[in-house]
Amino acid sequence: MNQQNFPVQVAPLESCREPGPEERSMLRKVLDRVGQYCQSRSLFVLHYCTGCGAIELPPSMTSRFDLERVGMQPMVTPRQADILLITGYLSVKTLKRVILTYEQMQSPKYVMGFGSCTINGGMYWNSYATVKRLGDYIPVDTYIAGCMPRPEAIQQGFLDLIERIDGGRAVAWKDYYRNYDRYLGHQQHLFGRDWLTPTDVVGEAAHYRLAGDGTLGPHTALLDQYAGYHQAWGVPREQYAELEASS
Amino acid sequence: MIPSLDLLLALAFGNLGLMLLAGRNPTAGLLSMILYALQGWVLVMLMPALAEGAASGLAFQVFGWSLSWELNGLGWFFAIITVGAAFFSAWFAAGAWGVQGTRSPWAFHVTLAANVAAMLLLLASRDLLTLFIGWELVTWAGYAMMIQSGGPATRAAYKYLIYGVAGGLAVLAAVVLIQVQAGGLGFAAVAAWMPGISTGMLWALMLLLGVGFGIKMAFLPFHRWQAEAYGESPGPAAAFLGAISSRMGLFGLLILLVHFIGLARLDELLLPLIGLDARILWMWLSALTIIIPTFIALKQNDARMLLAWHGIGQGGYMLLGVLVGSELGVAGGLLHVFNYATYQAVLFLVMGAVVYRTGTAHLDRLGGLITRMPLSYVAMLFAIIGLAGLPPMNGFVSKWMVYKALLDEGLPLLFVAAVIGTLGTILSVFKLIHNVFLGQLRVEHEQIREVPFSMWGPMIALSLIVFITGYMPGLALDLVMVAQTSLGFAALDYHLGGFVTDTGNLNMLAVVSVLLLGMGIGAGIFLLGGNKSKRVHQLDNYAGGHFLTTEVRYHYSHHFYAGLLRLIGPWYITLIKRLEGGIAALTDTLAAGSDGLYRTAYTPILMLAATVLGLALVL
Repeated sequence: MNQQNFPVQVAPLESCREPGPEERSMLRKVLDRVGQYCQSRSLFVLHYCTGCGAIELPPSMTSRFDLERVGMQPMVTPRQADILLITGYLSVKTLKRVILTYEQMQSPKYVMGFGSCTINGGMYWNSYATVKRLGDYIPVDTYIAGCMPRPEAIQQGFLDLIERIDGGRAVAWKDYYRNYDRYLGHQQHLFGRDWLTPTDVVGEAAHYRLAGDGTLGPHTALLDQYAGYHQAWGVPREQYAELEASS
Repeated sequence: MIPSLDLLLALAFGNLGLMLLAGRNPTAGLLSMILYALQGWVLVMLMPALAEGAASGLAFQVFGWSLSWELNGLGWFFAIITVGAAFFSAWFAAGAWGVQGTRSPWAFHVTLAANVAAMLLLLASRDLLTLFIGWELVTWAGYAMMIQSGGPATRAAYKYLIYGVAGGLAVLAAVVLIQVQAGGLGFAAVAAWMPGISTGMLWALMLLLGVGFGIKMAFLPFHRWQAEAYGESPGPAAAFLGAISSRMGLFGLLILLVHFIGLARLDELLLPLIGLDARILWMWLSALTIIIPTFIALKQNDARMLLAWHGIGQGGYMLLGVLVGSELGVAGGLLHVFNYATYQAVLFLVMGAVVYRTGTAHLDRLGGLITRMPLSYVAMLFAIIGLAGLPPMNGFVSKWMVYKALLDEGLPLLFVAAVIGTLGTILSVFKLIHNVFLGQLRVEHEQIREVPFSMWGPMIALSLIVFITGYMPGLALDLVMVAQTSLGFAALDYHLGGFVTDTGNLNMLAVVSVLLLGMGIGAGIFLLGGNKSKRVHQLDNYAGGHFLTTEVRYHYSHHFYAGLLRLIGPWYITLIKRLEGGIAALTDTLAAGSDGLYRTAYTPILMLAATVLGLALVL
């Protein structure tokens, strides 16, 4: 058995108050303005297209609608991507991968839910294996409604997101750090108590100075407990059940 | 103590005796280090006396032959590299490695001392007889050093011995031929006799001596013994052998081709039917010695084998450079001897350290050691940049000089061949550092630590030499010029940072400064601009959303360069191997035939055959 100890807990966390937009100095405002403008004009999109809807993307990216006009390009890794685009429904199994991928992206990061399925489950509402609301598990900046949305709608969604980034209003990613315990609780509800990713969200929250009152809680406490004993690290199921019983 | 050749040889042989007596003592490594340092000091002190030759007072009269030794500039240049390589190898073995890394530190220290003493004796030879004595001593000392590890090393060393003895016999045949024809064996006498001899005689001598010396240098097509023999040697022994041992062959070839025959005479020696001259032939053989072993190295799965095959390939650059014959080319070739010795020693020492810690040098079974052995990583990084011939390390300077000399002399095809060799080198050194130090750390290597100072000290010190002589090549060119003028070439116009020729110049001080400045600006932006980096765990890595575990090997190391090898794979013909097999089979058949003749064949038939032959002769 290979025990992997990830640095899950960073103690003690201080709650930080974010200065209001009007409290900044003049120079800071100018610099932020320039930074936001540049950021909103250079966005790399990571597509997570395990559901339907991926077919709408080629026309959006290529010569017909040409999203590169507004500085958007596909990107193959989460570390370099700014936007995580999730098309269509998510099964419980794929949601795990989406959360891992999202946590591996560097902040600031934005999530776009594409199609009705990410909003309310859409036509899979009755399915036992399909996630109903993506926003419960990771913070979503923009939804594009429709089943399926046409490339024009996708384009409109991206332009909307660009405008919000430019205006400094696309801050959903901060919510993940401030209220990590709530998101993690939803994830644990779906995946079980031993749910664990190799990422260190709590440490990142401290790193970005975004730790809030909701960062730590009863759910993050479980992370510590299962840090070394997750099935993903090769523990047989029986052994894991014993651990479950003992805890 | 007045520094003289006598003192040098006394120190070398004294060291050998001391190691024979006290090699098991834990302080033996330190003791031999001091003695190598003293030998180095004597060599440095001898430098001003080299112009007229530093003769030894030691002289024998054996059966009417007088044996005496004298060190000239060329021998001095090789000697200083020998002693330096021995010093760093002994340092590596002086501490923990000598206790745990090897079965017998005594054997290592004794064979190292024996090798150094034999090489110094060879390098100080003033006639062909002393050269032959030194040659045999070097061969046997090398054999003793290679068999230390036992197992496969014994087999590889035996193969070396067969090649080495064959080479020694070829040299002996040439020595006898020269003695009979010229009536003297002194280098000066032979050089004076050479211009008058016939073309056929010259070819015969070149073949005999060329094969003899070429075998030691692993010159194509006699290269097949070397990689196994050096690769199977334990870490510091491989470092010493790889750095300098086979350069004794180059020393012999330089005496033969430059001192005895002369490059101008080589130009006049036309090959029958083809119309190429002998110098071009040697140059193309050098070029093939660069290319073929380098691309064999690319295929190796054992890091030590990979390095040893590169050792063969790098030898080609040295001879190629010298054979160009211009000041720049000769300086480049000789400088490459020095540069190559520095980084090859580092690479073998690093792999010795890796083997010491992990127990393997197999490139499929390592990875991610950078987090556990950072100093070894830095040493290897410096050395592979040198081996690949990229700035700012010293390998760049010497290769650049050889390239430039080839282009200046109008030999573009040889230049292309040299560059192809460099391409193969770059590819395989990336494979080396990627598979050993980068990528995923294996579970069984989680607990290992950096090697102790006695092992990383020599690696780091040598890699700093690799960098400093790359930044200021003038320091190494000081040594090279001694050998170059001793060989009878004009000195290159050089300065601390590089060289100046009619067609251009190189100033590494400027090149490296610009490089460091650029890196400094990048580092400044990164560090002063609020370095926001955060370390992540090794398994926190993107694999298409897949959850990585320690069981999943995502370090791509097996069958490296699969695409390239699919393209060039069919080019790896085993011609030389088949040739060697053919010679072995022929010898076997002849031996079995003569054996049968003596043992089992019917005597009456032999009698009849003898009678018939006798009658045929008489009638």
